[in-house]
Amino acid sequence: METLTKIIQNYYYMIAILLFIIGMHTMLTHSNLIKKVIAMNIMDASVFLLFVAIGYTHGGQAPIIEEGKDILFVNPLPGALMLTGIVVAVSITAYALSLVVKIYRYYGTVDYDEICLIRSQE
Amino acid sequence: MPLEHHYPALIIAILFGFAFLSPVIYKYTRKASVPVFITALSLTIFMALAMLFRIYADGPFTYHMGGWAPPWGVEFRIDLLRVFMLLIILGISSWIIVYAVKDLEHELKHNLIGWYYSLYALLVGSMAGMAMTNDFFNLFVLMEICAISACAIISIKEDRACLEASFKYLILSAMGTGCFLLGVAMLYMVTGHLNFAFVSEALPQAFELYPNNLFSASALFIVAFGTKAALFPLHVWLPDAHASAPSPSSAMLSGLVIKIYAFSLFVIFYQVFPRDLLDSLPLNQIILWLSVLGIMFGSIFAMVQVDLKKMLAYSSIGQIGYVFLGFGLDHNMAIIGGLYHILVHAIMKSMLFMTAGVIIYSTGVRRIKDLNGVGHVLPLTMVAFTIGSASMIGIPGTGGLISKWYLALGALETGQPFFVVIILASSLLNAIYYMPIIVNAFMQQDEFQIKAKPVPRSMTATLVVGMVAVIFFGVVSRPIIVLLEQAIQFLL
Repeated sequence: METLTKIIQNYYYMIAILLFIIGMHTMLTHSNLIKKVIAMNIMDASVFLLFVAIGYTHGGQAPIIEEGKDILFVNPLPGALMLTGIVVAVSITAYALSLVVKIYRYYGTVDYDEICLIRSQE
Repeated sequence: MPLEHHYPALIIAILFGFAFLSPVIYKYTRKASVPVFITALSLTIFMALAMLFRIYADGPFTYHMGGWAPPWGVEFRIDLLRVFMLLIILGISSWIIVYAVKDLEHELKHNLIGWYYSLYALLVGSMAGMAMTNDFFNLFVLMEICAISACAIISIKEDRACLEASFKYLILSAMGTGCFLLGVAMLYMVTGHLNFAFVSEALPQAFELYPNNLFSASALFIVAFGTKAALFPLHVWLPDAHASAPSPSSAMLSGLVIKIYAFSLFVIFYQVFPRDLLDSLPLNQIILWLSVLGIMFGSIFAMVQVDLKKMLAYSSIGQIGYVFLGFGLDHNMAIIGGLYHILVHAIMKSMLFMTAGVIIYSTGVRRIKDLNGVGHVLPLTMVAFTIGSASMIGIPGTGGLISKWYLALGALETGQPFFVVIILASSLLNAIYYMPIIVNAFMQQDEFQIKAKPVPRSMTATLVVGMVAVIFFGVVSRPIIVLLEQAIQFLL
């Protein structure tokens, strides 16, 4: 029961981990290259969500400090970091998709199993 | 502040700056781009040496990016260990680029060469940053730059094998960085810091309160760095990627890129994580046994290969096992052996890939079977191959012996003679697949019918430098060992 309450209280962490596992599983098991790229993004996004969730404070405001006011604010650092993370993920995605385009041009398919078949016949 | 205080940032700024300029320089003056690159690399080596002398004079120091002190700013920490790695990276990469000049003209389309230098500079810069950084998030960003540029110097060749190999590499390394970032999130959750020094200060207390976070973080780090450094069961991307890439890229990837991740794992496990964590979890045992499997299976797979570069790639899986073996044994001698192997293997494997590149450049032969008698056509190249293989096997007088010697000493000191047997068995296996190539290349006369193109002087010169370096680090190992002994003082 105690474990269950803990899980319910921290459900946003659980969702992030669940997304991570979905992403990783799809990335490693699906043979469609586009799906692999999408799964890579799901995986990255799950970690971004986790980071942002760490920085969240319940009832917190944007961290703009006014003089004389003592406000409760959310931790801005994870948000700022994840902005960098998103940029990195975008560039990886762009590169991966451009590779998929090239692979399609050379093999005529985006299915990894078919590519393996073509390569084994060469 | 005087200029010499900014050397850590300048090293990266120079390399990344060159990465942006390289295509432009190449477009307008083709001849100038390589001399400019070599000048830039020499400048960075000069700076790294200056930092080394500064450490000897004043001890380790830190550099704050943009003047923001941690925990807010990004911090670089410069100590002997980091400078050792930095000098290996800069030295080896400037050595490879001299070789690359002629090889690339042969392997790439001419309009791409400027872009290749730009990717190469990004790769070197990101690895230099990874060696120096003292911040988890900075490490993540540099890892991603390193991953993209490492994949790109494979796929730039643009043939079927390269594209497929680099996509596989990209996906698995994206999985690696994903796991790394999740691990960092676990640490950030319990410590609230990203700086290595602050995290390591906060971890002992966090370990008592939230041990599960640290367990999962360390598991994620092993997967992350294991994938990127090709630790045994996670090595699947390596053979295709390293074998199909252009030869200078293969030399770079096998020589340096897999090592820097092993080095980062070492820094995180031994400098950041508390000693209690390493003692309460069998982390060292996991690394140790995976490395043993890697050493044995890497060699066994290498024996059955028909393609020369693929054999060298599988051999890298075995050799990175030695580096992890040193870290896993967790004894000063073994760690020195592992770190020394980073240096020695970087030299010898780069040299072996270069000899493979020279053979392909000059005769177009890739299959091991067709190499019979090649020693009479390309004598110097095959002598270089012989010395490189001798060092792989660990014959006295070559660098490979020293690292194996220290690894074996470490294994004996910790009372695990089994690992000495593994080291000896693996040396034997190395001999089994390197020796026939050498023997057939020199003994079988008149077999080799293909007319060889003359080897350019810059390629021969790099091979000679490599041979001298392998023997030099086998004979004069004392200064480096003393440096490493001082570098790992923090473990005592």
